[in-house]
Amino acid sequence: MVKAEKKKINLRVNGEVHTLLVAPHLTLLEVLREELHLTGAKESCGRGACGTCTVLLDGEPVRSCLLLAAEAEGRQVTTIEGLGRQGALHPIQEAFVAHHAVQCGFCTPGMVLTAKALLDKTPDPTDEEIRLALSGNICRCTGYAKIVEAVKAASDKGK
Amino acid sequence: MEELSIIGKSAGRVDTAAKATGEALYTADLSLPRMLTGKVLRSPFAHARIRAIDTSRAERLPGVKAVVTSADSTGEKWGVFRYTQDQAFLPPDKVRFIGEEVAAVAAIDEDTALEALTLIKVDYEELPALFTMEEAMRPGAVLIHDSNPGNINVHVKIDVGSVEKGFSVSYHVREDTFTAPEESYFQAEPYAVAASFDSTGNLEIWMPNAGPHLKAKPLSNCLRMPLNKVRVRKITIGGAFGGRSEISPADVICALLSRKAGLPVRIVYTREENTVATRLAHSMTATIKTGVDREGRVLARDITCHMDGGAYSSTGPIATSVPFLCMEQAYRMENVRYNGYRVFTNKPIRGMFRTHGRAFACGVDLQLDMIGLELGIDPVTMRLRNAREAGDYTPTRSLVPSCAMTETIERAASAARWKEKWGKLPPFHGIGIGCNSVQTGFPMGIRGGSSAFIKFNEDGGATVISGVVDNGQGNENMLVQIAAEELGILPEDIQLINADTEVTPSDPGSYSMCETFVGGNAVRLAAIDAKKKIFKFAARALEANPDDLTARGRKIFVKGEPERSIPFARAIRMALAKGEPVSGEGSYWPKVDSRREWVENPSGQLSETFSFGTTIAEVKIDPETGLVDVLETWASQDVGFALNPKVIEGQFEGGLTMGGQGGMLTEYHLWDGGRLLNPDQAEYRLPLAPDMPKINSIIVESHDPAGPYGAKEAGMSIAMSAAQAYVSAVCNAIGVPIKEYPLTPDKIIAAIEKKSKKA
Amino acid sequence: MRLPSFQYLSPGTVKEALETIAAHKGKVLIVAGGTDIVNRLRQRLVSAPYVMSLKAISELKGIKKNKGELVISAGTTLREVAASPEVSGLFPALSQSASCTAAPPIRNMATIGGNLLQDTRCLFYNQSELVRKAAPACLKQGGRVCAAVKGATRCLSVYQGDLAPALIACNAKAVLKKAGSSRTVQVADIFSNKGKRPLAVEEDELLTRIVIPIPSGPYSCAYEKLRLRKGLDYPFASAAAFLSLSAKGVIDRARVVLGACGPAPVLVEDAAAFLVGRKPGDADGLSAARCALKVCRVVENVALPASYRKKMAVVMAGRAIGEALGQLSGAGA
Repeated sequence: MVKAEKKKINLRVNGEVHTLLVAPHLTLLEVLREELHLTGAKESCGRGACGTCTVLLDGEPVRSCLLLAAEAEGRQVTTIEGLGRQGALHPIQEAFVAHHAVQCGFCTPGMVLTAKALLDKTPDPTDEEIRLALSGNICRCTGYAKIVEAVKAASDKGK
Repeated sequence: MEELSIIGKSAGRVDTAAKATGEALYTADLSLPRMLTGKVLRSPFAHARIRAIDTSRAERLPGVKAVVTSADSTGEKWGVFRYTQDQAFLPPDKVRFIGEEVAAVAAIDEDTALEALTLIKVDYEELPALFTMEEAMRPGAVLIHDSNPGNINVHVKIDVGSVEKGFSVSYHVREDTFTAPEESYFQAEPYAVAASFDSTGNLEIWMPNAGPHLKAKPLSNCLRMPLNKVRVRKITIGGAFGGRSEISPADVICALLSRKAGLPVRIVYTREENTVATRLAHSMTATIKTGVDREGRVLARDITCHMDGGAYSSTGPIATSVPFLCMEQAYRMENVRYNGYRVFTNKPIRGMFRTHGRAFACGVDLQLDMIGLELGIDPVTMRLRNAREAGDYTPTRSLVPSCAMTETIERAASAARWKEKWGKLPPFHGIGIGCNSVQTGFPMGIRGGSSAFIKFNEDGGATVISGVVDNGQGNENMLVQIAAEELGILPEDIQLINADTEVTPSDPGSYSMCETFVGGNAVRLAAIDAKKKIFKFAARALEANPDDLTARGRKIFVKGEPERSIPFARAIRMALAKGEPVSGEGSYWPKVDSRREWVENPSGQLSETFSFGTTIAEVKIDPETGLVDVLETWASQDVGFALNPKVIEGQFEGGLTMGGQGGMLTEYHLWDGGRLLNPDQAEYRLPLAPDMPKINSIIVESHDPAGPYGAKEAGMSIAMSAAQAYVSAVCNAIGVPIKEYPLTPDKIIAAIEKKSKKA
Repeated sequence: MRLPSFQYLSPGTVKEALETIAAHKGKVLIVAGGTDIVNRLRQRLVSAPYVMSLKAISELKGIKKNKGELVISAGTTLREVAASPEVSGLFPALSQSASCTAAPPIRNMATIGGNLLQDTRCLFYNQSELVRKAAPACLKQGGRVCAAVKGATRCLSVYQGDLAPALIACNAKAVLKKAGSSRTVQVADIFSNKGKRPLAVEEDELLTRIVIPIPSGPYSCAYEKLRLRKGLDYPFASAAAFLSLSAKGVIDRARVVLGACGPAPVLVEDAAAFLVGRKPGDADGLSAARCALKVCRVVENVALPASYRKKMAVVMAGRAIGEALGQLSGAGA
């Protein structure tokens, strides 16, 4: 087994810069969860096939389980903990709660972030656009119906 | 019933904001001081004797704090039933499936733990392995369990009336065989366990579960600790769907590691481990022979079912029975015989799945379509003529106290505009129907009931204490809504302590669709008990008769005279001032036949009540590719009463997606002998957002006499009828019955080609 | 699950990158988007003492239309390829193939170079150690047996990249550099057609850009993909078609390329005969598509049966050809 030296990396997460000493083989997901205790991003497949590890990298949803932590240096990382202010929910989070788009909640952080990235780019998406944007996020509980409703409600037209 | 202000409304749930912000902690998110990472060493052989295990090198690796093998366990064999105790966690003698737990380590980090696993040497003696039911049942085949000749784990035999006579007077008889491979749960949260002992030997343990009390007792047995020292803690849970109701080897292994290391240990399963080392659903072959009269009414049914149970019993007797029981509830059948066999194979263990036996359910329903075709009767009429009705007894002698099956059929058919469509759609465009019925609870002896306590704060707030567990379906919110409604205060006034075995009283768990019926009723009764005591004091203050009082919106007032009121909190303080503080206590034990046993005596009241429903699906097939486009679906369910309509819709929508879209179009497991080739979401295809059709939810309420506010269940049922509706619709679209599931495009193309060759 | 341990290198220029992979030849894995390599690392299908990231190399990003050619640098993400007006305007097949690869978050990371150079796949090979160690090592792992096909002596793991068929149909070239030299090859020649070692790219070579010649006359191209769900999945069958018209309005070049039907994308050579020399309206797309049957080497190594995938190769080829023909007719050619 290669015992690699830990590397110093600077990660900008939710607007804060963190200087960390991490082994190079750690993924962004592992560093977020284990070093920064930001457990909103989760591992459900370890293959990049489910979306529960979703974070925003410079505003775009990515699979943090497939991203080496070092790859995120110099980029802006947004996790679910970075939404909302001082205990107040972000409008998308509010919509998810109000529209019963959350059941077990394990896929929710990934869904909310992916929805945010969509609405930032496309303030008035159609149902089809919403479903395609979320096509990489798997939900086992809801059947997606109320998730799509919630995103619609949080969109410009929905408000 | 008095007008309700909280129950029956689609209020937001109490637990979802924390999930939306990422604050909610699941087991893998827990961090305890000095916590170690645990990893499990798994057998690479499907069937082998363990001759020796050498852990010395692993123990010497710096950073490793504990290594456990069977030597560290009590060697006790566990089983859901006394007569199915066949699984020793960390087996001492032999392994029975690829992936079975053999040893485990706890280390300072994951890298060290993974390296430690490579240093454990296990000396195996490979044995012949059996991978299919046919191989397992062949005379002379090696025995997976010495106690089970022919590798038959369970044989459920039910024989009611006279099927021979029924067939002899039938106008039409047909027999078909239906098969389906395994599917599995794919709860979003992979299994994980965290365990920690304190200095006096109390165990705190967290894991996703469908019944903490049903975890605590086996833990107490396996660890030889009294129940009061085993605390299964409340934790946010990412789905169960029937796969988390039993003690898991990981639970015991994690506790053993923690005890040995003297430090908290957390084991987080990979997705593969969640699929292979917890539970899968059964694969199944069902041969169904049905005889009907001229009008399509079933006169006799004879069913033989073989289910591949994998290497251990698990909930064998239940899993072998429920597929049959669901259909005997849904449809009238006076003369019926059922022979259900659960067979051992050297494969991962199978448990109860939300769609209980898709081959069986789809077979029964598709056969009704086929018979109807032969008699010139349409599928809806076939269902109506055979539908269960309130007041009926099922063949195994359960009384059906409330049932709106017929209404669900009619309303679904009407909403789907069935009459305009069936038989009139263009080629490769079809519509189909499926009907379900599901239990609310199984007979569970001393663990079949739920109790609840309520305590009050001097400012009028309350804490409800209940053993009910929430897997994501909204059970916690259900309890808060019920308590708030019954007490006349607001949901935000209520704190809920639930699913913690140190504090909460026993509860049967969420996997048998009984949390609302049993757990909800217990909370309701506890609230009624408290209210009685509170009204005694309020009556004094209002100079009224306690029977004339009611409570709503934090006020207690005389019925019909809302100005004659006192604040709820005042009554609480009056009681405190009198030295008689108010608390509430309630218990609900469902009225089931305690003598009913799955195998020994499958007769008598199974559950106190049942839910019923109908799903209709409309599909379009691409005849070149065989791909199915589901255009629209309608799910109508008699839920008794909708405590929270939006929450119920969520169950309809999720159930349809799992049982229908996934279960019948894309979900199946692939094997190479005992090796599972698609354990994760890359190759096990779960439905995605753009795959889903519009889902119309039609709630039907039959107001069950015993359910809380009349409520029954809504969690499992739609998964089943959706599966049936999808099959019915696809077969209608192509004009050919398909009896092997799921309906992947290759099977659809093959069926289309076979039909055109015939023509 | 943790990845295996390695040392991480992040060169800032192509020159530095080439020096690095030369210095550590055979011991370094390249990570571009990571969506293929990180998965294979996690499954312990591959490991190496060094992982070299391309993230800091700005020379590897960008899409540029030069005179007569479209140049896409290898580090351009699939999202950028799919969103590029140059790409969709000039080579819709490439846009289509990029847009239907996996899912949006993966396309935000995955690069055109990484997608092109992905390893072949097989249900029996792409597995965890638990599953692989429970059976003898297969051919692709360096063993002696094929787990998918009893007795097979050649690995027929499947190349399932979406972009390659479109690129090959459009006659694209790849520029491969190593320290001190460079070569330009047809994208088709990157593939060895051997499942065990599918890429004819050396360990110390770096793919730097894709160059697609822009035909002077009218032309069309299309890509069709078959998957079970409306997202995420690799193709079970796929086909790309490219057609160009002579000055007389007759098809003078036709390329039909299949994906997901063997260890490399395959040119359906016989298809051209039913297309070339005819006006689009007279082309025999059906017969052209049926030629796919001859070149489709599918075995039971993915989740749907080989017989079905073979039929679907014809269907996808037919649809891609049909779409390309339709584009030509629509253009009033």
